[in-house]
Amino acid sequence: MSTRNPSHTNPKPCNHLAEYKLKYGLNGYNALQSCLKTTPQGKTSVNKHQTEMPRCCFCSGYQGRLYVCLVCSSISCSNHTLMHTQLENGHDIAVDVERAELYCCVCCDQMYDPDFDKAVMCKQIADMPIKNGVEIGEVRLNKRRRLGTGAELGAKKSSKQPISMRDRRAKSCFPLGLRGLNNLGNTCFMNSVLQALLHAPPLRNYFLSDRHDREACRRRSPDRLCLPCDIDVIFSAVFSGDRNPYSPAQFLYSWWQHSADLATYEQQDAHEFFISMLDLIHEKEGKAKNPNKDNGDCQCIAHRVFSGELRSDVTCTTCGSTSTTYDPCVDISLDLDTSICSSTDVANKSVKTNGNTSISTLLGCLDLFTRPEKLGSDQKLYCENCREMRDSLKQMSIGRLPLVLCLHIKRFEHSSIRKMSRKIDRHLQFPFSLDMTPFLSSSIVRNRYGNRIFAFEGDEPDASTEFEVFAVVTHSGMLESGHYVTYLRLRNQWYKCDDAWITEVDEGVVRASQCYLMYYVQKVLNRKANEDLSCLPMSPRGDSFLPIAGCC
Amino acid sequence: MSAPNEDNMSSHAQLSSHFFGDLLDSIIVDVASECHRIARLGLDRNLEEEEEELRLSAQARARVADPSNSGEASSKYVVDIFGQTHPSVANEIFECMNCGRSIMAGRFAPHLEKCMGKGRKARLKATRSSTAAQNRYSRGSPVSTYSPYSNSTSMNRLSNGTPGVAGEEYSNGTFEEP
Repeated sequence: MSTRNPSHTNPKPCNHLAEYKLKYGLNGYNALQSCLKTTPQGKTSVNKHQTEMPRCCFCSGYQGRLYVCLVCSSISCSNHTLMHTQLENGHDIAVDVERAELYCCVCCDQMYDPDFDKAVMCKQIADMPIKNGVEIGEVRLNKRRRLGTGAELGAKKSSKQPISMRDRRAKSCFPLGLRGLNNLGNTCFMNSVLQALLHAPPLRNYFLSDRHDREACRRRSPDRLCLPCDIDVIFSAVFSGDRNPYSPAQFLYSWWQHSADLATYEQQDAHEFFISMLDLIHEKEGKAKNPNKDNGDCQCIAHRVFSGELRSDVTCTTCGSTSTTYDPCVDISLDLDTSICSSTDVANKSVKTNGNTSISTLLGCLDLFTRPEKLGSDQKLYCENCREMRDSLKQMSIGRLPLVLCLHIKRFEHSSIRKMSRKIDRHLQFPFSLDMTPFLSSSIVRNRYGNRIFAFEGDEPDASTEFEVFAVVTHSGMLESGHYVTYLRLRNQWYKCDDAWITEVDEGVVRASQCYLMYYVQKVLNRKANEDLSCLPMSPRGDSFLPIAGCC
Repeated sequence: MSAPNEDNMSSHAQLSSHFFGDLLDSIIVDVASECHRIARLGLDRNLEEEEEELRLSAQARARVADPSNSGEASSKYVVDIFGQTHPSVANEIFECMNCGRSIMAGRFAPHLEKCMGKGRKARLKATRSSTAAQNRYSRGSPVSTYSPYSNSTSMNRLSNGTPGVAGEEYSNGTFEEP
C-alpha cells in the first residue's frame, strides 16, 4: 500500500522533523491515530478528550490555534509552542489540533510527511462508513481494459510506404486535409463539426489508414446504409490534395436517412449533430467490434476516440457515507462560470464596481462542474448507513479521460418563467494547453480528504492528462439565426474554416472568439499528428491525387 | 452595530464581536493551511501557465475590440489561402441522389428536404392526411423541430443559418460583443 505517488513533489522535511523521525519513527503517528476524528465532510482533527476543552499547558488558553506535542502530548497555544521546545529538548514536532497537520515549533511552519498522511488516511478510512468514495491504491475489481494510446488506431500490420508524391507534399506550404466545405443551405452546423473531426488525430489516422474498408462493407451489405463509409469518402476527398471546396451532399443525404427526426432544412445545433454522428458510427460499428455485448469498453472508433468516464459521488451530510456511480460520456457539457470575481482580481485589489470585471474561464467552468453541490432539501436521498432520507452533497469528477476531449459550452438559457430562451454571448477564456489533472477523480477525492500524500485510486503515473486544443467551433449571431465557424490548429498555425472559405488567422482571433465546442487532444498524440501531416501514407484504392495547386 | 468604541459597547456586543473575531481567525488559518499544503506539494504547478493564458486572452480581446484594427473582413468576399474566391451561395452543380435532378450545391438541403418528404414544410403538407399526423409525434425526438418555437424543449441548442428565419418569439436584447 505504500506506493509513492509520483504526481506529488515529496516535500523535503526540515532538520527537526528528520531528527524526530530518526529517533521516534512512526510511534508518535500511530499513537495519535486513536485521537483522530473525522467529520462527514472529510475534515480530520485531533480530539483527545470528548468532554474536555483542550487548553495550553502554559497559559490555559483555549483560543486560537492549539498544537499537541508528538513526544509528550502536551498542548501549547501558538504563543507558547516555542517555549515548549526550549524547555524540553527535542520536542520540536507538534500537530495542529484543528486540522491534523504537522507543525515544526522551531521553524514555525507547517510540515509534510507521507508517513504521517498515511497514518491519518488509514484512520479516516477505518472510521468511515463502508462506502466513502475512497479506494486505496491500485486495482479496481472490474476488468476495464485501458484503451491504449491513439498510436494503435492508425497502425496496420503491413507498414505502408508513402509513395513518391510525399516529397512534393512536404514542400507545399499548406497542410494536407485543409479544404473548404460548401454550405448546402443552413448546413454550417454540419460543416463546422466535420472540419473538427477531419482533424482529430486518432480519427483521421483511422480513416486514412483504411481501417474502414469501403469495399468490404459494400460486399458484405450492398444495400445497407453505412455512415462510416460516407465519412470515409469525405476523408479521402478532403485529404486528396484538391483544394476546391467540397460538397458533402452524399453525407447529408446519408445522415438524413439515418436520423429522420433531424432531417430538416431548419437551423440546427452543432453539438447535437456531433452526438448524432457518434451515435450512428457506434450503431454501425458497435455490433461488429463488440461481439460480447460488453458495454463497458466499446471498441467502435467513435468510442475509442471520444469516450471517457464521469464519476458521480453522492455523500450523506450526516454520516459521510458516499455512493459512487460511473457513467460513460463522449463529451462534457459545461455551464458558464459566471463568477463574481476571478481570484487574480482579488489578489491585485483591482476590483472595481463599475462595469463587468469578471471573466469566465474554461478552468472556472470545469471547477464549477466538479464543485460539490448541495442537493436541495426537496432532493433528499436515502442513505443506507443512516437508513433514512438525508440531505446530500453531489460531486462530479472525471474517472477516465478520452483521447480526444470535446467540451461543450451551454450557451443556451431557458427561462421557464418567461417561457423564453436566449443565448448567452458571454465571452469565455480558454487555454490552448489544458492540464486536466485537477478534475480527475483521484484529485477531487484527494482534495475532499485534505490533499493528503496518499495513493488514491486512479493515480496512474502514465496517464496522459495534458491536452492541446486543435479545433474550436464558434458561434456568432443570435439563437435562431447565427453562424458556425471552426478554427483549426495545424502545425501551430490557426486556420479559419468558414464553410468554403479557408483563411489563415492569428491566434489572437481564436482567443477572442466565442467558443461553443472545443476539441482537445492528448498532447502526445498531437505531437505525432503534426509530424504525420507532411507524409501521410496513401490509400491503395487508387484515388486520384491531384498535385497541390496554387500555393507559395 | 455602533462604532467600535469599547467603552460604549455592551458586554454582550463585545462578546459577540470577540467570538466573531475568533471564528474569522480560525477560517483564515484554515484556508492558509490548505493553500500552504497545496503549494508545498506542488498541486498548483500550472499556475504560471494559467496566468500566461489569461494574459494572452486579455491581450487578444483588447486587440479585437480596438476599432483601429482592420479586423476580419466578412470572409464572403475574401480570397482564401489557396487564392480562390467563392460566391456566397455555392454554385457547384451535381445530381440529387434521391431524384436525379441537377441541383446547385447551396440549394441542395432545402431541395433534399422536400425531395425526401422530410422537414417542416413537407410535414406540414402531409398533415392533411391523418396517419401522417400520428406518425409525426411518435418519432419521439428530444428536439422538437415541429413547432415554430423550436427551442422550447431542446436544451442548449444554437441554430445556424441565414438571418430572418423565425426568431420573432425571442427578444434577444443586447449582446455583449465577444
